[in-house]
Amino acid sequence: MKKSVVYVLAFLMTIALLAGCSNSSSKKGSSGSKDEITLYTIQSTQPGFKEWLKEAEEKSGLKINWIAAPTDSDTRQQKISTILSSGDSSVDVLEINDEMAASFKNTGWLEPLQDTVLTSDILSQFPQGYMKDMLTSNKGDIIGVPGYSGYLALWVDQKKLDEAGMTSIETKEDFINFMKAATKDGQYGYGGSWEKTYVFNEIATFVNLFGGDYFDWTNPKSKEAVKFMYDMVNTWKVTPIDQMADKYEQMNQKFIDGKYAMVFMWGTGRDYKNAGRYGKDQIHMINMPKFEKRSIFTDSWSYVLNASSKNKEAAIKFLKYVASEDGELNSWKNFERYPARADVASNPAVDSDIKDIYTEIQKTNEIHGRPMLPQTMEFITEMGTLFHHYIQDKITLDQFCEKAQAAVEKYQ
Amino acid sequence: MYVGKKFMLIAWIFVLPALCIRFFTTIYPIFETFRISFFDVNLLKGTNEFVGLQNYMNIFHDPKMITSLKFTVLFVVGSMLGHIILGIVLALILNMKIKAQKVLRSIVLLPWAMPTVVIAIAAKWAFNNEYGLVNDFIRWFNPDFNLDWLIHTDTARLAVIAVDLWKDIPFFAILILAGLQFIPSDLYESAKMDGAGPIQSFFKITLPLISKNIFILSIFFTMWRITMFDIVYAMTSGGPGEDTSLIAYRITTEAFTNMNTGYAASIAIVLFIAMAILSAISTYAAKKVDY
Repeated sequence: MKKSVVYVLAFLMTIALLAGCSNSSSKKGSSGSKDEITLYTIQSTQPGFKEWLKEAEEKSGLKINWIAAPTDSDTRQQKISTILSSGDSSVDVLEINDEMAASFKNTGWLEPLQDTVLTSDILSQFPQGYMKDMLTSNKGDIIGVPGYSGYLALWVDQKKLDEAGMTSIETKEDFINFMKAATKDGQYGYGGSWEKTYVFNEIATFVNLFGGDYFDWTNPKSKEAVKFMYDMVNTWKVTPIDQMADKYEQMNQKFIDGKYAMVFMWGTGRDYKNAGRYGKDQIHMINMPKFEKRSIFTDSWSYVLNASSKNKEAAIKFLKYVASEDGELNSWKNFERYPARADVASNPAVDSDIKDIYTEIQKTNEIHGRPMLPQTMEFITEMGTLFHHYIQDKITLDQFCEKAQAAVEKYQ
Repeated sequence: MYVGKKFMLIAWIFVLPALCIRFFTTIYPIFETFRISFFDVNLLKGTNEFVGLQNYMNIFHDPKMITSLKFTVLFVVGSMLGHIILGIVLALILNMKIKAQKVLRSIVLLPWAMPTVVIAIAAKWAFNNEYGLVNDFIRWFNPDFNLDWLIHTDTARLAVIAVDLWKDIPFFAILILAGLQFIPSDLYESAKMDGAGPIQSFFKITLPLISKNIFILSIFFTMWRITMFDIVYAMTSGGPGEDTSLIAYRITTEAFTNMNTGYAASIAIVLFIAMAILSAISTYAAKKVDY
């Protein structure tokens, strides 16, 4: 090879290398334009996503680029944590759940929205307790717009309820009687999702129903709730220990297949509708039974603004849209997500049997956000692991409570 | 051969891009991980304090880490024994002169060609008591069989090792097969004439001649097992409890879920040192051992 060719090649490689290593100051975030944002979304696999997107773009006047969040919960949380903690500006708006909101709200990774999006007139329409517990930082900043309002409600298979000769589940005794009556021929009265990072939802639900306190394991009522769950598996055998490996997808499949008579589940029953198992005579939501009291958890996935975003103006425009009546109705229409805003929920366009039961729940239940600590996932995992040990008789009830209290203190 | 300074300079210029990439993607992260391992860095709490060797000391007092260490040892030893024994058996089967040999070799490689995460997600269902094909198969012989493999410590660990074997044995076997095909057939014919049976031939001819292959392969496969993460991530999430948390899974959980970056870095450094020592011993042994 001629020397000159070698020199030219070497020169070109050096230039290419320097160009690659250099930081282009003119480069913007992924969107770059004033009327363009990038949304990190969990909704892209929903059937109505295209329609939702089209309407959102039309009404907000923005071009919305989107990135699908992983469907696996662990992977999703890790991805979002990495994006936010590393100051990645390629995503402007993200959807995060309560676990992530509890973890991130005090980190400074999310932009406060009270002055730009959630002004007092809008904010007053959202559930106040939830906004305060889940989406407000220690400094008083509100960091998210709830995308919907959901409950961890009791779903029952009506056929099994009829077979048990019961008309409703109003009390703890009804709950126990139904579980026992429906447990036969390899079918169980109660089904759960007791994988170590999921089971905390049900532990906390029973603790609330018994009038206990998830953060106080010296409280005898908290203890009673966990003993109740132990008895469901080991004493009455009305729920299978197998569900320790189950997340919601496995639990729902079993419920749809008729292996369970009732479950606690989020959402408005889309999986059951898709499986042709939804309805008053099949699987449907009922009010929470009264143990010590009627109590239910609410949740949401909230839209948040990445503090590192380079398109904050456009992102705020988008967040104003999702917090608006149009935005909430779009979500209801295409994803069946029940509006978080009280005024929108009362809109005649929100017309469904879910509305009736939601109204009944709101009238009769204590409604709480889930009990979460700043080190959310670590705390949830540790509680789940302790619970697994307890129901497998690796530790006693007293040891469970002692270790659970230590975990509360450690992660507080 | 004499190489002029001018040409050396050009050579370095050509190598420079690769060196830069290697520096920024490997050398710098290693040094940074080492540095961070002496700090209590928790991104959620916003802490970043120098703590000296505290993170390293915590590793050996952390019950989760001790469980992870125990399972990692069990996993590596169990899986490698399975790889060596079953891998050789499979390689011998694939080396037999039978019809459809090529088809058989292709089919056997299929599990290896599939992404581990896909296999692990499928395995989560396969080991389910209600819907799993594993129990369906067992119920052909024992209709009353009931076991949810992934909720008991021992069976969950066994299931994880079994899935790892199912996925990677074919690859191990194919590499052993390559060694088998270099053994001249004359040796077997001579042995046969001298009255040696198949078992004697295997232990006196086959095994000694492929033992170097097995040794070298075992080094790499052991390294891969020690850093394995994806099977437990998708199949058990480290459960029940923390009983199937491999060390690499624990590092990921601490770093990306719990955001305990400093602690995760210290575990990573310990793993790095262990791997480096193992690698050095293996390389030394591979050079010294005479077959």
